[in-house]
Amino acid sequence: MEIFSLSVVVLFVGGLLPLVIFRFFRLMKAVYTTITVVGCLLGLYGAVTIFSGAAAGPYSLHWLHFFQLRFFLDSLSAFFLVPIFGVCPLAVLYSFHYMDDSNSKIETGVHFFFTNVLIIAMALVVAADTIASFVLAWELMSVSSFMLVIHDYQNKTSRRAGYIYLLFTQTGAAFIFAAMGLAYGYSASFDLVALAQLPEQIKPVVFMLALVGFGSKAGMFPLHIWLPHAHPAAPSNISAIMSGVMIKMGIYGIVRFYALLGTTGTVLGQTILLAGMVSGVLGVVYALGKHDLKKLLAYHSVENIGIILIGLGIGMVGVSSGNMKMAVFGFVGGLLHVLNHAVFKSLLFLGAGAVLKKTGVNHIDQLGGLLKRMPITGRTFMVGSVAISGLPPFNGFVSEFLIYYGAFQGLGAAGGLFILSMLAILSLAVTGGLAAACFTKVVGLVFLGEPRTGQAASAVETRCCATVPMAVLAGACVVIGIFPEPFVQVAFMGLKGLVPVSTAAAADLVAATANLALAGRLFAGLFLCCVVLRKIFYLGKKIRTGPTWGCGFTQPAARMQYTGTSYAMSVVKFFSFFVHIRTRYSGIKRIFPDRPCYETRVDDIAETVLADRIVTPMLYFLGKLRWIQHGHIQLYIGYIIVTIIVLLPFI
Amino acid sequence: MEKYILLCLVLLAAPLFPGIILKTKAFFAGKKGPPLLIKYYTLAKLLRKCSVYSTSTTFVFRLGPTVGFGSALLVLSFFPFGGVEPLFSFHGDVIALFYILGTGRFFTVVAALDTASPFEGMGAAREVFFSTIAELTIFTVLILFCRINGSLSFSEYFLGDNPVSLVDPSGALLVLVIVSMFMVMLTECSRVPVDDPATHLELTMIHEVMILDHSGPDLALIELASFYKLFFYSAFIVHLIYPFSAGAGLLNGIIFTTLMVLIYGAIGVVESITARFRMNLVPQFVLTSFALVFFAAILTMGVFQ
Repeated sequence: MEIFSLSVVVLFVGGLLPLVIFRFFRLMKAVYTTITVVGCLLGLYGAVTIFSGAAAGPYSLHWLHFFQLRFFLDSLSAFFLVPIFGVCPLAVLYSFHYMDDSNSKIETGVHFFFTNVLIIAMALVVAADTIASFVLAWELMSVSSFMLVIHDYQNKTSRRAGYIYLLFTQTGAAFIFAAMGLAYGYSASFDLVALAQLPEQIKPVVFMLALVGFGSKAGMFPLHIWLPHAHPAAPSNISAIMSGVMIKMGIYGIVRFYALLGTTGTVLGQTILLAGMVSGVLGVVYALGKHDLKKLLAYHSVENIGIILIGLGIGMVGVSSGNMKMAVFGFVGGLLHVLNHAVFKSLLFLGAGAVLKKTGVNHIDQLGGLLKRMPITGRTFMVGSVAISGLPPFNGFVSEFLIYYGAFQGLGAAGGLFILSMLAILSLAVTGGLAAACFTKVVGLVFLGEPRTGQAASAVETRCCATVPMAVLAGACVVIGIFPEPFVQVAFMGLKGLVPVSTAAAADLVAATANLALAGRLFAGLFLCCVVLRKIFYLGKKIRTGPTWGCGFTQPAARMQYTGTSYAMSVVKFFSFFVHIRTRYSGIKRIFPDRPCYETRVDDIAETVLADRIVTPMLYFLGKLRWIQHGHIQLYIGYIIVTIIVLLPFI
Repeated sequence: MEKYILLCLVLLAAPLFPGIILKTKAFFAGKKGPPLLIKYYTLAKLLRKCSVYSTSTTFVFRLGPTVGFGSALLVLSFFPFGGVEPLFSFHGDVIALFYILGTGRFFTVVAALDTASPFEGMGAAREVFFSTIAELTIFTVLILFCRINGSLSFSEYFLGDNPVSLVDPSGALLVLVIVSMFMVMLTECSRVPVDDPATHLELTMIHEVMILDHSGPDLALIELASFYKLFFYSAFIVHLIYPFSAGAGLLNGIIFTTLMVLIYGAIGVVESITARFRMNLVPQFVLTSFALVFFAAILTMGVFQ
C-alpha cells in the first residue's frame, strides 16, 4: 500500500508540474513524461507485490467528519491496476510527440494535468473500500475524462461529443448513487463490505441499478452511445486510455458488486450474458458499417465489452448452477480479456492516432498504402488487428478460448442453461468472424493497396516516442499469445476470494492453458518452418515485379480499389433488421454523367431510438412548459415564496 | 510411429483426390478428362517457376500463402485419419483449429487486398461474409457433438469407446450433420454451387479471384493448402459415416480410402449437375446448413437425450 500511495503522489506531482512550467514547452513535456512513467511503473510494481502476497492494509482518513475515505487493495484491485499502470505510461510516452502544438502550451499543460488526474482516479476507483471513496473517485474519473475529451474545445463536434459523454457518465453515476443509496438505506453503513448483509430480495435491485451505471461507463449496448462520439473527438492518446483502460472500470464495478453482494440468483448471470451477446454482435456489425477509423474502433470496444460480459455472464451462470468449471473458465476468460483488450485496443488507437496525425484523414476510404510509408505503425497495427479478431497465436484468442471452454462446459445441462450456453457460443463465433471481416477491411484499406488520396501518399512514419509504445504493445500481444500461462494465472489470482474455486477446476484451467499454449506455439513454429520451406523454393530464382493484373483492363487507377462501403455492405445488409442504412445516390441521368455520387450511412439503432422515442417527445413536452421561464425577476421571487410556503407545513 | 507415417501419407496423397472430381466431371461431360495425377504435375510445374510480384504489394502479400498453408497443415496433424491416433490432441482443440483456419483466411484476405485490385477486393469481401456464416454451422456442430458425448476434440469425436457415429442411438441427428457439413465443405473449399474455380469471369469468383496475382511456389502453397482443407473436410464427413475401430489397420485404410473416393465423387457429381448460385443466394445456402444442425442441436433437448 505504501508503494501504491507513493505512486499516486508521484503521479499527482507529475500532473501539477506542467501547470507551472508550461511556458517551457519541450521541458514540460520531458519532465511530465518522465515523472508519469516513473509513477506508473511504481504503481505496477506495487500491484505485482500484491500478487506475490504482500499485505495491502487499509489506508483511511476522514472527510467532512462524516464520511470515511478508506482505500484497500486486494487481488481483484491489483489485477485491474495492471492495465491502468501498464497501458497509461505508454500512452503518456506516446503523447510526448503526439501533443506537439506549441501554440497551445497552456492547453497542453492542462491536458497533461487531467491525464494524470484520470490515471489517479482510476487507481483510486479500484482501491476504494467505502461508498464515499468509491463515489468520489468515480466522479473524479468522469470529470477528468470529460475535460480530456473536450481538449479541442474550439471545435463544435468535440464540444458536442463532450456533452454527450458528460450526460451519459452523469446519468450512469446517478444510477450508481441510487444503488449505493438503496444499499445504505438497508445497511446504514458506508462500508462496501456491508452490501453482503442486504436482504436477499434487495440485492438484485441494487445490482441492476449499478449495472445501468457501470454498463454505461463500460459501453454496454444500448448504453454505449457516447463511445463513438467521445473517442473520435478526444486526442488519440486519451482515446487509448479511455477505451483501453477507463471503460474497464465499468467492468470492475460489475465484478466488484457481484462479488460484494455474494448473491447466487440466476437472473444476474443471465442478464449479463444476454447484454454481452447483444453488445458483442451489434457492436461489430456497427463497426463494419462505420468508415471513420476511430469511430470504428470505438464500436469495437462495444464488441469487446460484449465478449468480456459473455465471459463474466458464463462465470455467474456457472456459479448459480453450481458448475465450478464453467464458473472458473468464464470468469478467468472475461478478466483476461480485460487485460488483452487493454493491450490491443490501446495499440490500435495509438496507431489510428499516428495515421490521423500524419495524413489528416480519418475516413478509411481516403487512405491506403500506408504500410510502405509507415512501416512500424503498419506492422504493429496489423498485430493488433489479428489479436482483436481473436485469432491464434495472439492474445485475443487466449481469452476467447477460455470463454468458449467455459461455455462448452454448460452444454451438458438441461433446458435454459443449455440454450444460454449455445447462444453464447454462437454469438462468440459470429462476433469473431465479423471482427475478422472488419479488421481485414481496416488493414486492407488503410495500410495495404495503393494510396487513394494525396494525403495518404505523402505520409511518413511518426517519431520514435510514438512508435516505441506501439512496438511494446504489439510485443505484449505476441507474448501473451504464445506464453499465456502466467497471465492466465494472474487473472485467476484476481478471482481468488471472489468465488469459491474447487481444486479440480483450477487444475483443469492449468491443463487447458498448457494445451492452448501448445497449439499456439505449434502454429508459430509451423509457420516459421513454412517460411523456411518457401525460402528454399525460391532459392536462386529471380523475382520480377510488374503491375497488378487488372483482368484485362490496362488503365487501373488507385480510386478503382474496393472501398470500405462496398466491402462491408453485404454483411451489414444481412443485419438490416438492427441497422438502419441510409443511401444517397445521385443517379446517372445523362449520357456523360459528370459527378455521380453514392454514399451510405449506417445509423445506430440505439441512437435513433433514443433520439426519436425519448429525446424528441421530451423536448416537445418541455417546450410546452417554456412559459415558466419568462425572465421577469419579480415572478421568479414569487416562485421562491410560493415554494417556501408550500414546504412550510412539512418542517 | 504409425501416426507419423500416416500423416506423411495423407500429406502426399491429398493432391490425388481432386483428380477424382475432375474425372467425374469429365465423365458427365462425356470427355476423357485430365489424368488422375494432374494436380501433382501442376504443383511440380508451379514449384519450378519463379514469381512475378505486383509493385503495389508488400511483405503481407508474400505472407498470405505461407500462413494459409501452415494453418491447413496444422489441422491435419490433429485429425485421427482412419481411426489412427493423431500427432497432437487435447480437449478443446477443435476450437483452436477452426480459429487457426481463420488466421489462415485472415492473411489470404489481406494478401488479396494488398494487390490494390478491385476484383480481389470483391472476392475478399465475399469470402469473409460467407465464411462467417459457415463458422456458425461449424460451431453448432461442435455444440451438438459436445452435447452428444461431452467431447471437444477430433480424437474424442472419432476414437475411444464412445465415438460420434451413425450407429449410435443419436445417430439420426448425424444425417443432418453430414448434409450440412457437406454444404460447409462446398462453401469453405470454394466448390460449385457456391464458387466456381473454373469460370472464366473474375467478377463471379470468390476464392479464385483472391489469388489472381499469386504465381510460382506461392501459388503452389495456396493450391496445396486448399487440397489439404478439402481433404480435412472430406475426412470429417467420412468419419461421421463410418466409425473406425482401433487396431484394424489395413481394413480401416481400405474403407477410409473408398469412402473418401465416394465423397470426392459426390462433389464431382454435384459440380456436374448444378450451376453456380447467384451471389445473393449463397448466404441462404449456407444458412440452410446452419438451420439443419441447429435443428439437430435443439432436438437433443428432448427427443434424443
